[in-house]
Amino acid sequence: MNRINKKLQEDKKLLSIYFTAGYPSLNDTVSIIEDLEKNGVDMIEIGLPFSDPLADGPTIQKSSSQALKNGMTTAKLFEQLKDIRKTVSIPLVIMGYFNPMLQYGVDAFCKKCQEIGIDGLIIPDLPVNEYKAHYKETFEKYGLINVFLITPQTSNERIAFIDNMSNGFIYMVSSASVTGSQSGFGDEQTEYFKRISDMNLNTPQIIGFGINNAETFKQATTYTKGAIIGSAFIKYITENGIDNLGAFTSKIKS
Amino acid sequence: MKLKVCGMKFTENIEAIASLQPDYLGFIFYDKSARFISSEIPNLPKTIKKVGVFVNASEETVVTTVLEHNLQAVQLHGKESVDYCKSIKKQLPDIEIIKVFSVKDEFNFDVLAPFESVCDFFLFDTKGKLPGGNGYTFNWNILENYPSTKPYFLSGGLGISELENISEFSKSKASKYCYAIDVNSKFETQPGLKDFELVKQFKQQFAVNTIQHTMSYNINDKGYYGEFGGAYIPEMLYPNVEELRQNYLKIMAEPSFQEEFNQLLKDYVGRPSPLYFAKRLSEKYNTKIYLKREDLNHTGAHKINNTVGQILMAKRLGKKRIIAETGAGQHGVATATVCALMGLECIVYMGEIDIARQAPNVARMKMLGATVIPALSGSRTLKDATNEAIRDWINNPVNTHYIIGSVVGPHPYPDMVARFQSVVSQEIEWQLQEKEGRTKPDHVIACVGGGSNAAGAFYQYLDETDVNLIAVEAAGLGVNSGESAATSALGKEGIIHGSKTLLMQTDDGQITEPYSISAGLDYPGVGPMHANLFATGRAEFISITDDEAMNAGMELCKLEGIIPAIESSHALAVFKDRKFKPEDVIVLNLSGRGDKDLQNYIDYFKI
Ligand SMILES: Cc1ncc(COP(=O)(O)O)c(C=O)c1O
Repeated sequence: MNRINKKLQEDKKLLSIYFTAGYPSLNDTVSIIEDLEKNGVDMIEIGLPFSDPLADGPTIQKSSSQALKNGMTTAKLFEQLKDIRKTVSIPLVIMGYFNPMLQYGVDAFCKKCQEIGIDGLIIPDLPVNEYKAHYKETFEKYGLINVFLITPQTSNERIAFIDNMSNGFIYMVSSASVTGSQSGFGDEQTEYFKRISDMNLNTPQIIGFGINNAETFKQATTYTKGAIIGSAFIKYITENGIDNLGAFTSKIKS
Repeated sequence: MKLKVCGMKFTENIEAIASLQPDYLGFIFYDKSARFISSEIPNLPKTIKKVGVFVNASEETVVTTVLEHNLQAVQLHGKESVDYCKSIKKQLPDIEIIKVFSVKDEFNFDVLAPFESVCDFFLFDTKGKLPGGNGYTFNWNILENYPSTKPYFLSGGLGISELENISEFSKSKASKYCYAIDVNSKFETQPGLKDFELVKQFKQQFAVNTIQHTMSYNINDKGYYGEFGGAYIPEMLYPNVEELRQNYLKIMAEPSFQEEFNQLLKDYVGRPSPLYFAKRLSEKYNTKIYLKREDLNHTGAHKINNTVGQILMAKRLGKKRIIAETGAGQHGVATATVCALMGLECIVYMGEIDIARQAPNVARMKMLGATVIPALSGSRTLKDATNEAIRDWINNPVNTHYIIGSVVGPHPYPDMVARFQSVVSQEIEWQLQEKEGRTKPDHVIACVGGGSNAAGAFYQYLDETDVNLIAVEAAGLGVNSGESAATSALGKEGIIHGSKTLLMQTDDGQITEPYSISAGLDYPGVGPMHANLFATGRAEFISITDDEAMNAGMELCKLEGIIPAIESSHALAVFKDRKFKPEDVIVLNLSGRGDKDLQNYIDYFKI
């Protein structure tokens, strides 16, 4: 069974962390992953940096352009991760925009992911219809789970379609926004979380965008399986470096 | 192209070949032929038209045979006269009449004219000893001079070994009016008996080989131009883009929309824009050059055609807030203008560097009531302004419409913008008719940034393959200088701003920064329509350097008294090296005026 599915079966709320590979320094990737696992993080999204991250706010944009300046590339990331499964056992997901994958070759990219032990992909700008028509078979051939997004504006009909197409978890975007632009959840979000929860989907949901502390983590996971933290973590390592990640994770879990 | 199998004779064989679903089956009612059909024709599917072939038969014979065998067409292979055809048509008004002409190495096309009005198709067969079925081809090249628009059948010695030639032919100018291919003797094991496997093989290959011919260069129902296009957007944008996709054609077709759009184009934009014969420029380059004067539009460029259309669209979708991106500021000004006109809030994203370079247009936008927000990310130019506009749309998913400034972005934007700009070539058609007695020029030339003015100028001619389309890109300091915006030359297939298209990028798939002296051409991608025109070879792509463009712009000032936008100057620079025939009729889309570029011209020429 895919590590993601196994993890989703555990009887707990999952904490997932996103970081941009190659940031703050080119070779921080492996050490960040290992430390996050040691500090009890359940799943990691490894951001493959892109020059034009349309769905991201300033924090992740900046980390991406810095990572590219540092020399991060797709090939470099695979090189850094080649022995990751010797030390890390939690699910690892690569999150990135579609163009770099297209240039690497979608088949070659997926194959490499399988070799390394990557469990799934999140590609915000590869819509579910294109995925279904052109890439589903490739992903499945290499045992990769593809994760789709839904938002408060996604129609019930489309949610049902996405639920049907999913085999891992659904990435629930907390509100209509790019990453990193939220501060706290209001009634509107809570209602949306509840509405989706009441749909009793087959696929578990994990909420992302706008989770930055223990309170928002708790709010988000009241109705769902887990939550993803991105911008807040990038901000933390920008300000504090990568030596004491436990100080960040313990605050979320308290 | 359709397929006709002729000279069918034996019942079982007829049924077998009919199961392959050719478009026409031919039966020869000429008793001197070895393929003369003496038995009854079996029942055939309605989708197959039965053609009776006659050679100098009496009218009465033709009419009774048609009725007796329930034929849908007659093919006249002898010396039947115009009056004869006319009379048959009168007696059998629902029957297709195919008049045959035998061709050898040359053919006097004048003989066709009197038959134009009395038959439905011509058929060109090889001249030989027999009236048809001689088994060899004629020189198809002579059809390049085909003077008619009447669809015709191509016949004479066609078999498997001609497939490649047929495929070539189907891509050539000469085949423009070729309606069907007619096969016969090359598929026979004996006269009248067709080899099933051979016909099957031919039909399959034929369909594949000639698909090119029927392919449209316009968008398909899935939002693609060939391989290019689609909507590669984050889920957050899906509701907005989907709402637009479901409604744009419906709204554009509403009479009230049409009326308001046309009224504004006329009274507010100042359309139609003139089609001006540039006499001195034509003399200089010894050809016939017309300028389509988009520079005379309100706000000084073609951009306003699109913003007028989109603001009406936004209103009908109930949107209250308009966002746009801009590079040079032309599209930003055109958007701010229509927002002022309609009283809608307007936010324009513009790269920080462009804001500094294009101060007059920033001031214009502000005077028109728009808020100009600097794009601070990435390289702080057009690409990043577009990113910021898209992020704004993600953050404001309900009340906002994004007016994209070119034929770029996710489907349906490229198609919608192309349709709004298509007024340009619609006007060219009737204006050229007035001036030259023809609707089609030999060449259309336009500069390409994202590609909207080119899309507008090409639109009516996309599938008229006898019109040569010339797309002009900015080479900056030179295509291989590292400072260029020549997307077709330097780009690879990839995804930019929601569309699969050609774009300039690193091997790793990171989008690179273009460079051109012209801010309007300074974009690392190109719209999917143009990517397809490039990939299929439908359009000719030429790249022009900063220097060539600036000099061509100055030349137009001196020769015609028109100061062009530097974008348009790129199109004008084509004449220096690309030679045209003296009798060629060329339309060049003069997309904008040079007022906005004055400082650039001043600096460049030290005026
Ligand atoms: C005068 C003029 N021509 C051409 C362009 C290029 O855009 P497009 O390729 O969409 O026509 C611009 C863009 O700003 C422009 O202002």
